[in-house]
Amino acid sequence: MKRSLVSLLAVCAFAFSVGLLRADETCSSPYLARIDGQEEFVYVWTLGVEGLGDGNDKLVTIDVKPGSPNYGKVVSTTSVDGRNEAHHAGFTDDRHQLWLAGLDTSRIFIFDVYSDPAKPKFVKTIDKFAETTGGAMGPHGAYPLPGRMLIPCLSNAKDKGGKTALVEYSNDGNYIATHWLPTKDDAGGAANADLADGYGYDARVLPRKNALLTSSFTGWNNYMRNLGELMGDSEAMKHFGSTMVMWDFHTRQPKKIFQVPGAPLEIRWAWDPKHNYAFTASALTSKLWLVYADDKGEWQAKDVAPIGEAKGGVLPVDISLSADDKTLFVASFLDGKCRVFDVSDAQEPKQIYEKQIGKQVNMVSQSWDGKRLYLTSSLLAKWDKAGADNEQFLRAYAWDGKELKPQFDLDFTALKLGRAHQMLFGSSKLGPNRAVASN
Amino acid sequence: MLRAVSLAFVFVAAITTATAGEIFSRDADHDYDAPTPGSYRLPVIKVAPDGAVLDSNGKGERLRDVFRGRVTVLSFIYTRCAAPKACPYATGVLSQLHRASLEDTELAKNLRLVSLSFDPEYDTPQRLATYAEGVNGESAGCEWRFATTKSHGELDSILKGYDQAVDRRSNPNDPQGPLYHILRVFLIDREGRIRNIYSSGTLDPRLVIADVKTLLLETTKLSKQ
Repeated sequence: MKRSLVSLLAVCAFAFSVGLLRADETCSSPYLARIDGQEEFVYVWTLGVEGLGDGNDKLVTIDVKPGSPNYGKVVSTTSVDGRNEAHHAGFTDDRHQLWLAGLDTSRIFIFDVYSDPAKPKFVKTIDKFAETTGGAMGPHGAYPLPGRMLIPCLSNAKDKGGKTALVEYSNDGNYIATHWLPTKDDAGGAANADLADGYGYDARVLPRKNALLTSSFTGWNNYMRNLGELMGDSEAMKHFGSTMVMWDFHTRQPKKIFQVPGAPLEIRWAWDPKHNYAFTASALTSKLWLVYADDKGEWQAKDVAPIGEAKGGVLPVDISLSADDKTLFVASFLDGKCRVFDVSDAQEPKQIYEKQIGKQVNMVSQSWDGKRLYLTSSLLAKWDKAGADNEQFLRAYAWDGKELKPQFDLDFTALKLGRAHQMLFGSSKLGPNRAVASN
Repeated sequence: MLRAVSLAFVFVAAITTATAGEIFSRDADHDYDAPTPGSYRLPVIKVAPDGAVLDSNGKGERLRDVFRGRVTVLSFIYTRCAAPKACPYATGVLSQLHRASLEDTELAKNLRLVSLSFDPEYDTPQRLATYAEGVNGESAGCEWRFATTKSHGELDSILKGYDQAVDRRSNPNDPQGPLYHILRVFLIDREGRIRNIYSSGTLDPRLVIADVKTLLLETTKLSKQ
């Protein structure tokens, strides 16, 4: 009975998923309601620049509807209060709200993107983050879980170093809990406690394995400092994360710590139900890492490929895995390139293509069908390049499996918008008369 | 529409025929061991919002009274739903919890299941009574209540309070059913506070039972202090 039931559910779920999962960013949470069809808007969480436009951080909305007279144009901007070191963002699981995090001020700005996806409306700000959470600061982004948001942080209010926490808020903005990353002194029972550094960055869930994986970067003292100065300070450069942590997702308890030197950043779980692995890229050592379940079901981590020539200054910062788990796009800040890897064999990725995107590049977002990629330029306000190298853009490309072909290019400096950071996809098809559900 | 309703019953019926042993088995969709009850914390998310509902006999009651005295698993459903990962799945899991309570006196005495409809026009108390008979023919085991609301006025404030998104599909004859919704199931402690929120990815009966027993142990520890 159980097998026949599971088969029946699987058939129905597959039939249903074919209808819904046609186009949406591949980096999103499995708990997030999907866009039905192609994305219509790209939201860009943008850092304000003093003297440019109003100088404030802002949410910029770009129309990407095929055939629209406004295709590739900015259709709305909404500024928030001041400059907060705009960084990552995330929708609530029902895709009604977009939460935008500020790394410097630890404020989170909540927008309604449901009532009118073309014109997101500011709703409220979560303030007093450090006081409320027991000292966590530097909210890195917002990751949707059922009815709540998981907010991985980068720093702490006590010494503004890299020891930090995962924080949970309910969808209506009420604080729920703080989970500190394991340290040598308090590893929470995790294996390899001697490796624990307490640092954090990304947090991603693989539901069917009850697995929560976190990565690690650096604290406020470093990410708010000029990059040139920082790289010349050998003592400061010791204060970067070199670990990833596997957690029991349901209990939020750390289970195993992995040594992953050089600041492992974005985490991308494979989507295939038989693929028990995730990729990450270590920024400072310029390597692709694989965290995977071995033949015994034990989680392991190993570096599986170099990303460019690390000595030349690559700094891979964002990765995007295709929905079929076969292609991985890697954006590298220092050399401004997007590299494409064939990861059909996850243990042995092979670079198959690279393209110069700009003088600097940070985030890369991919549509669910793998045909459209969007890239932005800004890493951190004090880490972005200077002078003519400080290009600030959103560049859209079509991917045909062989090369990236430009579709449109928005100059965020000429438009007086600021530094273009993270992108998320929106659609009117989540409106009152269209699907918003995971059912 | 009849096809959708029939499909919903097929799913629920298939799930409810699982044995207790199958309920607790590990499978490809839930490939992990459930935690030991009491080995972890369930932080308070918020006070479970109150509201006026009708039971399957048409009697009016308040949710805060419904929740009193037992740990409650509250599932928002509508009986016309035929989306396989939504209401039929949720009701199937509640049915598994109910079956588990037939063999566990602690659950039988301390657990309450509530299926609350967000389709008051169709899901009248009479229809819910029929639905209840279809998915739960047992009189033993834990409580399982079925409720609806008198009108959308009462329903809307409840949905808002629980942040439960529901919309009408553009095609009212959609084979999945006429409504879209995010699957949400709530764990509510004896003091009427939400302690966990499940969706299709996390609604595993083994996890729910571990959570229920964690809350029961919490109450036991407090009573000893």
